[in-house]
Amino acid sequence: MLLYNLARKDFRMLLRDPRAVVVLLVMPLIFIVVLGISLGEGFGQKPDDRLRISIVDMDVPYRQSEDQEEPLEWSKVVQQDLAQTAGIRVEVIGSLEEAEELVETSKRAAVLVMGPKFSENVTRSSFMVGGVNPLFRDGVDIRKLDARFLVDETQLTAASIIQQVGQVSLLRVVLPWMIGTAFENIAERMGPLARVLQSMFPNYNLTGKTWASLTRAEERSGDGAEIAVYQSEAGTGLLGRGAQRYQTLVPSYTVMFAYFLVLTVGWLFVAERRQGTLKRLRAAPLSRSEILLGKLIPCLALSVGQGLFLLLAGKLLFNMSWGSNPLWLLPIVLATSLSAMGLALLVATMARTEAQVAIYGTLLVLVLAGISGCLMGDRELMPDNMQQISLITPHAWALIAYKQLLANAGEVNVMIVAQACAVLTAFGVGFILLAWGFMRLDTQS
Amino acid sequence: MDEPLLRIVELRKRYGQTKALDGVTFDVYPGELFGLLGPNGAGKTTLLSIVSCLLEPTSGEAWILGRKVSTRDRGLRRLIGIVPQELAVYGELTARENLSFFGSLYGLAGEKLHQRVEHVLAATGLSERASQRVATFSGGMKRRLNLGAALLHEPKLLLLDEPTTGVDPQSRNHIFEEVRRLAGTGVTIVYTSHYIEEVQSLCSRVGIIDHGHLIACDDLQTMLQKIDGVIRFRVPETSPQLEERLRQIPETHLNGHVGQAMELECRDVKGALMRLISVLNELHLELVSLETIEPNLERVFLHLTGHALRD
Repeated sequence: MLLYNLARKDFRMLLRDPRAVVVLLVMPLIFIVVLGISLGEGFGQKPDDRLRISIVDMDVPYRQSEDQEEPLEWSKVVQQDLAQTAGIRVEVIGSLEEAEELVETSKRAAVLVMGPKFSENVTRSSFMVGGVNPLFRDGVDIRKLDARFLVDETQLTAASIIQQVGQVSLLRVVLPWMIGTAFENIAERMGPLARVLQSMFPNYNLTGKTWASLTRAEERSGDGAEIAVYQSEAGTGLLGRGAQRYQTLVPSYTVMFAYFLVLTVGWLFVAERRQGTLKRLRAAPLSRSEILLGKLIPCLALSVGQGLFLLLAGKLLFNMSWGSNPLWLLPIVLATSLSAMGLALLVATMARTEAQVAIYGTLLVLVLAGISGCLMGDRELMPDNMQQISLITPHAWALIAYKQLLANAGEVNVMIVAQACAVLTAFGVGFILLAWGFMRLDTQS
Repeated sequence: MDEPLLRIVELRKRYGQTKALDGVTFDVYPGELFGLLGPNGAGKTTLLSIVSCLLEPTSGEAWILGRKVSTRDRGLRRLIGIVPQELAVYGELTARENLSFFGSLYGLAGEKLHQRVEHVLAATGLSERASQRVATFSGGMKRRLNLGAALLHEPKLLLLDEPTTGVDPQSRNHIFEEVRRLAGTGVTIVYTSHYIEEVQSLCSRVGIIDHGHLIACDDLQTMLQKIDGVIRFRVPETSPQLEERLRQIPETHLNGHVGQAMELECRDVKGALMRLISVLNELHLELVSLETIEPNLERVFLHLTGHALRD
């Protein structure tokens, strides 16, 4: 009951302090809106000098015969071949319309479109009579495979490079298939001749139907670029709602402004000391831990409320995604709030005047935000060594957790989130223990 | 005589090289309104901080109702009400919210808390402004609320640290009335101030503290009886005959000339004044100016320390 009364009093005062509302809720929203509008598409992404091959995959898997268990999916083989090529990254665009718009707006120089009969036509490609022969002077006639390139006429050089890469990859896929099936036929009909031919070309496996098998080379183990799904980065409307940048901007400024609690709590503490109410609290039959807890609870509640408010605002205002595991956002908000509250208490117990809180508190919060990467909006923009150094700040751990949940193209690794939450909690407990120590000194003077 | 409610024994407190209190010893008895008079920085607030369990002394002891005062004794704090020198109330809360909060810290709740809050609001004359934020109050109203916040739990010992600093006459009268009323109900009060008139008009017993030393502690009347009053007057022309006649007035001492005026120190100011006028009539001397100074704490302080309280 005593703790409830203490906490209720502070909570009431915090809510009646317009500075708290401005600093904790309004300012981060203003930052996010301003940066969201002013930062362009591609913000938060590291410069990538690898060649991007964009693909639209409308291919329908094909069975050569009804008793074939696994249908052939040649479009996937092409994607894999490209992905395993060093210096290339593959991007799959969801629809033909989207791809056409990207090319028309010059956002992509060329896009390889594989139609629904691509697998069937590749399967039917053959040197034999009755087969589809897709080979011609320039390589592979992709129209015969139900494929084509969408080309931006304003970027012909770039488009030509992409087309050549596509040609090479298609050759690596189609040619071994055609050679392999041809030699299977020869072996069936003229077994001895096939053996003679094979003995004449010992460096090649003439019945191997993949490039690696044909050339007796080892299969590549995915050391090229990963296959990424294209996501629109621009968003819609003036705010660019739904833009990818909000997936990093909102958490970054949610974390940065969580630590602005230092100012609010600092002012609260200093006011208690200045107006003598701390003396009155200490003269009451309360223990120091009760006074401290009475302060912790409303500060924590305020901080958690702030975090949830900003994430909700991110969803409603900026149409940001909460990711595939939205429940994991709760422990991140809680752990971040705990560490922010601990730091706020530490500063509050050390500062003597409101001016000290304003100057040292703001400096501390901004420096930590700078080191951690919050100020830049995305830690990925920092050099690798700076990213390592930033781990001395709780902010960085909060950003790692948010990044894993909100801006991760792959599957969420909850262990990373859990580890970040544990480190944030440790920061919080450490700060509180230090604040406790300083508060002890305070009562002895 | 009763056992003292508050006993201070050889209390010392040092802050580094500075001696805030240096061997202070005195008793305060139940129901007494004890005044602690001293200039700013004399050690009054340090003394009250130790008595109110906020500060540990460097050496010496303080006892309240036979319990040794310690910062660790939470139970003892329920017996004490402290009115800090600062306006120790929350400006963002209303008067009623402030009182409810401070009352709840002492275990008051429900109807009892409500009754005590309304009682204190009435006693401090703040009932009409009870629902308004304290930040909108005048300095005097905040002072009254500051006093009220210490009364909610009906303490046995009330410690008032300069409770009228910066207040208007109306609020000062309110505070005086409330202090007198509380003293009338048997609450023991320690009233610290550097305003001599306040201590002299309110307190029955007074301690005078300067530079951490308690230099006097006695009943107010006893203390005042130890020093003389003064009659200061001017006549157009002095003469040896006048001085001789003045020296013959019993229980007076002629200090001689102070500037153009003559000064008589006397135990009984009224009696000596009658004699003085009689002498001047006999010698046909006209009185140009006259000033009488009754014995007061200001003169006691000057007498004891050699300097005025407000120097």
